[in-house]
Parts: sequence; C-alpha cells; structure tokens
Amino acid sequence: MTAGLTLDAVTVRARGRTLLDSVSLHVAPGEFVAIVGPNGAGKSTLLRVALGLLRPDSGHAFVDGQDVSSLVPRERAARLAWLPQRLEAAEPITALEQVVSARYRFPESRRASETAAHKALAEAGAGSFALRPITELSGGERQRVAVAGLLAQETPLVLLDEPANFLDPAQQLELYMRMGHLWRAGRGILCVTHDVNVLTHAHAPGTRAPRVVGLFQGRVAFERAHDAPELGEHLGELFGVRMHATAVDGHRVFVSLPRSGGAA
Amino acid sequence: MKVWLLLAVCLAACAVAPFIGPGFAPGTADFVFWQLRVPRTLMAMLVGGTLSLVGAVYQSLFANPLAAPSTVGTTAGATLGALVAIILGARLAPGGLPLITAAAFVGALGVSLVVAAIAAGRRVRMNDVVLAGIACSMAAGAISTGLQFTADSAELMAAMRWSLGHLPQVGYSGVLLLTPFAAVTVVGLLALTRALEVFIAGEEHAESQGVPVRRVRTVAIGLGALGVAACVAWCGPIAFVELIVPHLVRRTLGVSRRVLLPGSVVVGAAFLALCDASARVILPGRELPVGVVTAALGAPLLVSLVARARS
Repeated sequence: MTAGLTLDAVTVRARGRTLLDSVSLHVAPGEFVAIVGPNGAGKSTLLRVALGLLRPDSGHAFVDGQDVSSLVPRERAARLAWLPQRLEAAEPITALEQVVSARYRFPESRRASETAAHKALAEAGAGSFALRPITELSGGERQRVAVAGLLAQETPLVLLDEPANFLDPAQQLELYMRMGHLWRAGRGILCVTHDVNVLTHAHAPGTRAPRVVGLFQGRVAFERAHDAPELGEHLGELFGVRMHATAVDGHRVFVSLPRSGGAA
Repeated sequence: MKVWLLLAVCLAACAVAPFIGPGFAPGTADFVFWQLRVPRTLMAMLVGGTLSLVGAVYQSLFANPLAAPSTVGTTAGATLGALVAIILGARLAPGGLPLITAAAFVGALGVSLVVAAIAAGRRVRMNDVVLAGIACSMAAGAISTGLQFTADSAELMAAMRWSLGHLPQVGYSGVLLLTPFAAVTVVGLLALTRALEVFIAGEEHAESQGVPVRRVRTVAIGLGALGVAACVAWCGPIAFVELIVPHLVRRTLGVSRRVLLPGSVVVGAAFLALCDASARVILPGRELPVGVVTAALGAPLLVSLVARARS
C-alpha cells in the first residue's frame, strides 16, 4: 500500500475539451507539493479529482492505496481535508458552529466536538471571535476559521485551493507560514496556486523545500524542488513571461518581467 | 432562556386553541369540544409542525430561503391528484379513505419522488434539483389545467375549494392516520440535523467533510415529501406555513440548525393551531379556510420582523 495521495494517469474531459491529460502525481505523508500554472491549466479540476468530488474519465486517484471514489465520504474525510479559496457563508452561524461541522466525521458527542473546535480555533488564532457570526467576519478572519476547520478535521493530508487568493499580504504570509508549520509537523500538503511566491512563506530558510509541479493545459510540464536553480526558467516558460529568481534574507522570490527583456 | 419561553408560549397556545370559537350550546358542549375541536387542534398541530419542519429542512438543503415543499413539486402533484379524484367523482377509495385524500397523497408523493430520484444523480447540483422541481411542478400544473378545461362548474368549484387549504372535520381517525406519517418525517428529518449543519458551507465542502451529500438530500426530499403529501392530502395546500414559520424562528432564535429545526416543529404546531382557532371566529357563523388565515396572519408578522431587523 502506498501511503499518501496518488493520482495515476488521471484524464478528465468536459464538453470536448481535455481538462486533465494523463496526470500522475504523488504526495507522500510529510511532503509539500505545489501545483502551479496559469488560470485554466486544470489546477482546480485536479483538486476536485483528488477530493473525490469529480470522477475522472480515465485513471484513478488513490488515498493510502484506496481509490478515492470507492471510499465512503466519512472515510475520505478522515484522510483528506480541503481548504477552499473562500469559506462560503450562506447564513450567520457562529465561527464555532462552522468549525464543529468539520468534526462531522467523528462519532462523538456535541460537547466533544465543541471542545475540539475551541482548541482548533485558538490554534488558528481565531479564538477571540469564536462566538461571532461568520458573515460579520473580515476575509482574513473567515479564512482563519476555515483553517481552524482544517485543523479540527485532523487529517494526515491537506488540500489547499489558493486559500490566500482574497487575502492581504500580511494574512497571506500568516496563512502560508501556518501551512508550513503543518507540513513540518508531518502532514502531507497538496497546494494549488498561480502565485509561486506564497510558497516562500511556507518554506522556512534552512529546511527542505516544497516540490513544485508545473501544470500547463492539463499536462504536467515540469517537476522541480522550490530551491532548484532552473525553476525560474521553467516558471517563466509556464506563464509566458521572464521569471527572475532572487533571494531576500534567505527567502526565494520570483519576479516576473516582460519577455522581450531589458528594463522598460 | 429564550428557547424555554418560546416553548412555553407555544404549548400554551396549543392548549388554549380548542377553547377559542363560538360559544357552545348547552347540550352539545361536550361533543363539540371533545369530538370536534380537540381532534381538529391536534390535526392542526401535526400539520403545522410537519409542514414547518419540512420548509426549514428544504431551505437548509437548497441553501435557498424561498425553498418550500412546492419547490420539489409536492403541492402541484397533490393538486393534480385531487383534481383527478374530483373529476372521477368517486367518494371512497379502497380502504375507506376519501378518494380525494388518497389521490392527493399519491399525486404529491409521485411528483416529489421523481424530483428526489433526480437529486440522487451523481453529477446533479442543488440548483439542478430546484430546476427539476419547478419543471415537474409545471408539468403537473399543465395536466391540471387540461383537466380543469374538461371539468364542469361544480367540479371546478370543488377543486377551487380544495386548493384554498382547510383543516378537515375528520375526528380522531384522521389524526390517527396522519400521526405515523408526521412522526416518521419529523423524527427522520431531525436525525439529519448534524448533516444539515455541515451543508451551510456549501455542498462540496460538506462532501469533503464526510457528509454523504447525495444520500442526505435524497432522504431529506423523500421524507419531506412523505410528510407533506400526508398533510396536503387531508388539508389541501395550506399557504405559507412552511415559509413563514422557519423565518420567524430564524429571526427570533437564530439560524443554528439545532435550534431552527426543532423550533420550527414547535412554533409551526402552535401557529397553525392558533390560525385554525382564529378561522372559527373571524367571520361570525362561517369558517374561513385556514390557508387564508395563515397568509393573513403570517405575512404581516414576517414583514414586521424583517423591518425590525433592518432598523
């Protein structure tokens, strides 16, 4: 049995278009894999297949050696948790109730769920607004509640769907640093993003680097470590720009420049 | 605190309801009270509680504050069934039930189960279910209109009266027949509370957190249809109860599913019992259809709550 998340030659088609074309990928426990690519490359589709929300036309997604689509939802939720771009809030339930719902997979009492939810909220820095309605929270606060849900679900694997898309720089930094901590504490992370610089926040200087997988038009274009020297070149090709890698205080940063070269 | 107060008020309302109405004549007081008013109030409580809970559940399920049993075609199906029975003209169905009741039940359940089956589809999203419900309602409505076209004026009058919504004078037999349906629906739907809480953040999110989304929505629509079909079969489509009561509860007790769902049962029971009692006294000597009273009482109540929340 292979531990972790495995995509095996996954192909997804919709309305005559191929969204994913024979994509294979493995996220071992304790590994951080980032899927980067331009909009429309198939990143979200890939995540939905991994979550079992979408059945591929061919190929399989496996979690710990079992086909995701053959797992009952509770078993899947015990292994995989999902952090969406933005927490939908149809109704003004409290942050606490929101996090309690992440405990659905546990056969436990309400009291036990609430205790676990309070703990997760405190850990995610959301303890002070546990009893406020989520509809009244700012985008950053709401995402902290979502992170608390992720923690409360207690899964070995975590899937991130551009969770910092709607956040300001300080909150982006905070969120990805937190994900970096989760990673170094032993969780497997699959992160989808078009902003490669957020990975810098997760990658503490002097520790091992996340793995970066470039996705272009539904295919894997390259696979490199975040600190590989040639990564900038690959990223530039992927996004159709010139991508210059530089280091600031030991953090790797990528700067996009026009392709024609030279200072404008 | 607020919850207990509301519970007490609702219980008091149900207890008082049978005493409201035109004064008793000395000889018949016992009969009118025990054989007419009390079963009628019990019927109102069963119907009000069931309809309101199903409304609250559908609103949670569809993430749509306007969702109601009519959204999945239950009302249109019942109307079609009743119309068929009226036109066939037979009085009793096999088993001694009034034919109109049996036919309305079959129609309501038939149309809603089609929608529930659609909701079980793998790639089906909630909006598709709403659309399917509207489509099925319109199809049933079209057949009803066709039937009305062939009906004579007495049949049309009967159909119109049926569609106003009224609590029948059926004594304890109706209550006994309705109780198992209402009980199955209420207990079954309340058992889904935990799953429906998770639905608030969206279906896909709920699925990722371990909720068997397709099963929950199929079971919820099916159970809801069963309960509503049984109620509508006896009473006709009683307007707005399933819409107004959950919103009243939402605005007074909050949106937490653990309060909203049981709260809707209790408030719905009391609300319809009171509306039915009022229907006896509003027009002297005549009884208004309870559907008119629910709309007339509920609508201003809801508007005032919305207005108060805005200010």
